[in-house]
Amino acid sequence: MTMSGNAQSNVPSDAQKKIETYLSKLRQSLRGLNDQDAREIIEELRSHIIEKSATGGQITIAAVGAALAGLGAPEDLASQYTTDKLLARAEVSRSPFRILKSLFRWASLSIAGFFVLLGSFLGYFFGAVLMLVAVLKLIHPRTAGLWIFPKANGELDISFRLGFGSIPAAGRDVLGWWIVPLGWIAGSALVMLTTSIAVWFVRQYRKSLVLPQG
Amino acid sequence: MKRPEARDPEAADKWEVQLRKGCLELAILASLWDGKLYGLEILRRLESDSDLIVSEGTVYPLLSRLKALGLAQSEWVESDAGHPRKYYALTSVGRQRVREMAGMWTRFSESMTRLLAPLVKGNK
Repeated sequence: MTMSGNAQSNVPSDAQKKIETYLSKLRQSLRGLNDQDAREIIEELRSHIIEKSATGGQITIAAVGAALAGLGAPEDLASQYTTDKLLARAEVSRSPFRILKSLFRWASLSIAGFFVLLGSFLGYFFGAVLMLVAVLKLIHPRTAGLWIFPKANGELDISFRLGFGSIPAAGRDVLGWWIVPLGWIAGSALVMLTTSIAVWFVRQYRKSLVLPQG
Repeated sequence: MKRPEARDPEAADKWEVQLRKGCLELAILASLWDGKLYGLEILRRLESDSDLIVSEGTVYPLLSRLKALGLAQSEWVESDAGHPRKYYALTSVGRQRVREMAGMWTRFSESMTRLLAPLVKGNK
């Protein structure tokens, strides 16, 4: 890619300043992208603004203003680039962190995204708890695990304990050492299932729109 | 409970927006069928050869997405205007895809034209 600044010599300084202010705001809003992608977007739009502004002959500040109006607010324009990139990455990703990051972006755009984010967060949270209990059982064998406690009203309270604190009185460790394989298998299965469901929703969402916004 | 309006201009506008949006990807890919074009040329082609009203702020992110999907590729070319232009061209996958989309579009529009024929005749 080669960038040239000689066209900018034909641009009056006030118009040039207006272009650079717009592109600078856009650059700031493109923070989620890598440098190469962001630079390409900026240069392509710089080229567009200059050429569009020169359509009537002389580049004037009014012509630049009209060209910028056609592109829309820099924050909105950047959001179209970054949202799609994030969702595209989530589609091929198996990383819960990356998927949650993309879902946060989607949640900021629609209520459907919010519910998918909420469901995914719960899925990852319980998956992580199961795996954590399985690991901590090896460190705190007498206190970590799936415990049942009888309550005063006769009901039973079921909870996962990470093994910190004293041994619960009157409680019963339901699974014993079985929590190690079962917790690990169930936890990783839940994380994988959550990932598959989240990626499926992201794929449907991307298919349903030409662009994530607008 | 609020009764739905028999004639809701806002709903009709939304439908038209969605219809145009749905065609945009096909329109951009089709505009590249004969050869490479840069962003502003694509916009001008869409304005002159289609009924689509397209904003620049929609086309550029969409071009970026088509490139990410592997349907289009781009290259920077120095121009006589004094600044480089980013040209887009269809990839072989993109050519295949636009051919399939055009086939789907033709079948769909023919069936809709048949369905709508009585309405169109009735309006005359």
